[in-house]
Amino acid sequence: MTTSALRSAASQHVRRPSAARLRRRSAPYLFVLPFVAIFLAFSVYPLVFTARLSFTNWHGSGAAEWVGWDNYAYLLANEAFWGSLGNSAILWLLIVPVQVVLSVLVAVLLNSAKLRLRGLYRVAFIVPFVTPLVAVAQIWVVLFDQQYGAINAILGIVGLPDIGWLTTSTWSKPTLALLFLWKTTGFIVIILLSGLQSIDQSMYEAAELDGASKLRQLWSITVPLLRRTIMFAVVLQTLAVFQMFAEPFVVTQGGPYNSTTTAGYYLYNHITRGDLGTGAANSFLLVILVMALSLSFVRLLRAKD
Amino acid sequence: MNRIMSRRGVRLTAAGAVAVSALALAACGPDIGTGETTSDRLQAPTAAQPEGEITIWDRSGDLYEVFDAVIDDFNEKYPKITVHHEAVDINSKLQNTLITGTDVPDGVFLDDALVSGYADHLWDLSDVLSPYIDDIAPQKIDATTVDGGIYGVPYDLNPGLLFYNATVLEAAGIDATTVETYDDLLAAARAYQVAVPSAKPIHLEQSAFLGQLQLEMYASQLGTSIGGADGELRLDSPEYEQILTFLDTVQSEGLGTRAEYLSPTDIAELENGNQVFYPWAIWFDFAPQQLLPDTSGDWRAMELPAWTDGGVRSGAMGGSSFVLPKDGENSELAWLFYEFLMYDDSGYSAVWGTNDVYPTGLNTSIPAYLPAADPAKALFQPVDALGGQDLWKVATDAGSQIPGGTPIPSWWTGAVDYLGSDLQRMLDGELSPDEVISSASDGIQTNLIDRQ
Amino acid sequence: MTDTLVRPATAASASAAEPRPRRKPSLRLGSHVFLLLLLLAFLAPVAWAILSSFKQPNDIIRDPLGFDVSTFTLQNFLTMFQDVPIGNGFLNTGIVLVLKGGITLFFAPLAAFAFAKYEFLGKNLIFGAVLITLMLPTVVLIIPLLLEMKALGWVNTYQALILPGAIDAFAIFWMRQVISAVPDELLDAARVDGASEFGIYWRVILPVIRPGLAGLAVLTIMNIYNDFVWPVVIASSDRMSTLQVVLSTLAQNITGNRIGADYATVTGELLAASSVALIPLLVLFIVLQRHFINGILAGSVKG
Repeated sequence: MTTSALRSAASQHVRRPSAARLRRRSAPYLFVLPFVAIFLAFSVYPLVFTARLSFTNWHGSGAAEWVGWDNYAYLLANEAFWGSLGNSAILWLLIVPVQVVLSVLVAVLLNSAKLRLRGLYRVAFIVPFVTPLVAVAQIWVVLFDQQYGAINAILGIVGLPDIGWLTTSTWSKPTLALLFLWKTTGFIVIILLSGLQSIDQSMYEAAELDGASKLRQLWSITVPLLRRTIMFAVVLQTLAVFQMFAEPFVVTQGGPYNSTTTAGYYLYNHITRGDLGTGAANSFLLVILVMALSLSFVRLLRAKD
Repeated sequence: MNRIMSRRGVRLTAAGAVAVSALALAACGPDIGTGETTSDRLQAPTAAQPEGEITIWDRSGDLYEVFDAVIDDFNEKYPKITVHHEAVDINSKLQNTLITGTDVPDGVFLDDALVSGYADHLWDLSDVLSPYIDDIAPQKIDATTVDGGIYGVPYDLNPGLLFYNATVLEAAGIDATTVETYDDLLAAARAYQVAVPSAKPIHLEQSAFLGQLQLEMYASQLGTSIGGADGELRLDSPEYEQILTFLDTVQSEGLGTRAEYLSPTDIAELENGNQVFYPWAIWFDFAPQQLLPDTSGDWRAMELPAWTDGGVRSGAMGGSSFVLPKDGENSELAWLFYEFLMYDDSGYSAVWGTNDVYPTGLNTSIPAYLPAADPAKALFQPVDALGGQDLWKVATDAGSQIPGGTPIPSWWTGAVDYLGSDLQRMLDGELSPDEVISSASDGIQTNLIDRQ
Repeated sequence: MTDTLVRPATAASASAAEPRPRRKPSLRLGSHVFLLLLLLAFLAPVAWAILSSFKQPNDIIRDPLGFDVSTFTLQNFLTMFQDVPIGNGFLNTGIVLVLKGGITLFFAPLAAFAFAKYEFLGKNLIFGAVLITLMLPTVVLIIPLLLEMKALGWVNTYQALILPGAIDAFAIFWMRQVISAVPDELLDAARVDGASEFGIYWRVILPVIRPGLAGLAVLTIMNIYNDFVWPVVIASSDRMSTLQVVLSTLAQNITGNRIGADYATVTGELLAASSVALIPLLVLFIVLQRHFINGILAGSVKG
């Protein structure tokens, strides 16, 4: 039987026994049931509870008083709230574009390296990703010390002045961004590497014959064909940056002068101060924001198709 | 191909979400507590040999080892009480544990700054502490008092002292012991800078949290703190004006080394003779003993300068207490443990005296219990790194001067974002003392006090 | 018969995992230098941490960049093994890895199979739920989840560590890509042979996507291993602490304020513990990296 005949045979509903048909109709529901159950129990339920909490002024003990939109009004009028969103946005700008360019370059280079060395590089690039965050925090604090850190020492060798990496609000964000880049780029490189390896080499060979330079090949062949993978990485990292909490928590505690208080960290502050109602309102606003961002990226991705 | 999400999918999701939320908002969620607001006073157990198990939380580290070693001594007096001693990241865990009310420990080591924030969850210890209360440093009682109830068993008193590098100061012809006021200190610093031009003699703290803590030390000397007994803000006062002006002067005249406490920079400047005056709590003495090998033995401690002629020469900086959560199963037994630790001679001698962890004794704090903090009966030994100085005497004399009237409001830690931050800005040269006071007061009032 | 010529714009067959022979042009010197510098940048900080764990605790603080081999000691490791419940950390991380990882590895591809190969009412809605999960910041749900755990009596239990987020949304997303590439003919043939729907999943899909599953396994392991926020919140005792929680308990004596006399010792212990925590994952990755790369290949987002 040919492929099409097989297909048409299978799609003739009347010829199917109804038991098998029922199994087939119910199968997808059963397959997604575990996920849906967990989703309802541990995502939806807490989220709804957060919504309810956001209209009260609960402080962790005693009764919760209804305060209506008060918490939301406070947040939306609060400089620090918008500041935290701004911080996250600036971090995004510092991290994502650089990471994409860097990762593409590295992935392309690694793709053409000799096989033995490639393995070593792959392992090396993943090392930051698996180093415990608290250790990384310690490392960063020591390496970036203004007067006695290695980074400023290196700068000093080339005659540049000391920079207050973690002590000034100008440089704290780039330093945090650097940490995030250091930690996650290896992972993105590997994702891109995989995308690269499915590109047909014959295209490059043809371009080579046409006399195109390596750079031109990169720009005209690699990048367009990688576009989906790149967008995928961008969406992934955008989510990660706006949700970023652990890094500022462990390294800078949101400082100096709240310059590294990301959206997630600002939210956490409410919780630690016991202001749980405001924390809940903040959570909700953050969820809406992250979802809006993600959806617009998704739309962008589909629009370019 | 619907690879990601179709428009219809978005609409359906949104509709679904709204429906579910409407339903659930109307329904009940997990219980968020009843309206229990009466303060409960803990009563001591009456049995001669009380029996039971208690769980005690302490921060991990050397202090954990010290307390652990005392458990055996405790069991000699109360053999039927089993102590489960756990090292816990208290600052991260305590709030969640108290909120969920599950696996709540019977006793917890807690920074004084955090106690009032948790008062709703803790036992009022006024009754059990009443036999001892007159003998406890008043600052410690105030630190853990909320609405007339006392919510912590005071552990250590951390008197502020002026640490100075005697050797290099002498070499520059300056006798630090003649410093009696902060004006004297400025004069000494200027003189030292003339002798050693690269020097920036006085330490200026760069961490917002520690900077605020140190500010409160200065304020404690003057019998004030940022929050009063009724929770009102006391920043806008001549006392804070004077303190902030002093700090601003140190900064503007280039007399200060700006660094985070014991960061690599801080340590280096202490070792090379550029930073010679460190007004700080007694626990700075850790540095000359462990972290400053080059200048170990050169350092000395003395009382802080006073803000006015003949004024008080010490204030409290930091300090911790033991709190007893109401949800703990055997809190009254935990009280016995802390009573032993703090008010029984064998208890406090074991903590501060020579032991396996600290062969020369625990010298980074002194007991808050005044009979234990007797200047004539040292618990820890003279400190080699301070040239063999009898630090005990200096600290206990200083500690006895610290006035009361300095409660710690529940929003103290939250204030770091405002006051701590603004103080750092002032030390950056961005704000004036008056601006710090108005900006911080504004921020604290709007964001913390009004939202209690 | 499927096409053997791989056109760049179409999906590659899931079984095309063998490396294609191709001429590898040698890299220019500049590229080599660039890569090496990056390598250095990535490895140096970690190397610093591991080397520092062999120093005297006070030296770590006082002289962070000096390495006097003659003063090297195992002290930090010894005190760490004594004081830090790192055994508990490994045990609990291991348990969570196996159980939570197992749940994701079994149920995520199953759900993905439904999304990839079936049309059913509500499919978009439910897939929307998958996306929402991906977009939800963990820190947002802490307090409500905590209270829910209390209501269920699950505080400080393994269920609490494992079940929330047990089926990773990213895993579903990724596996959907992979399974989409499996030819429908294989499934139809199995149906004609009388296989049940689940039988198709078990006997047709899973073997075909095995490289992708291996990749998913490695990724899942790394994510669970690194999971920081929720475990720190929910595991309030040593008994239940995962590795990250154990490490963060140590670190809280250091981060923020340096109050306390012993933060040199704790820093030493922290570096020792981190070095020890680093090794299993590294070994795992080295051993499995071939699977990992092949796995990603099989499920890559096509350009």
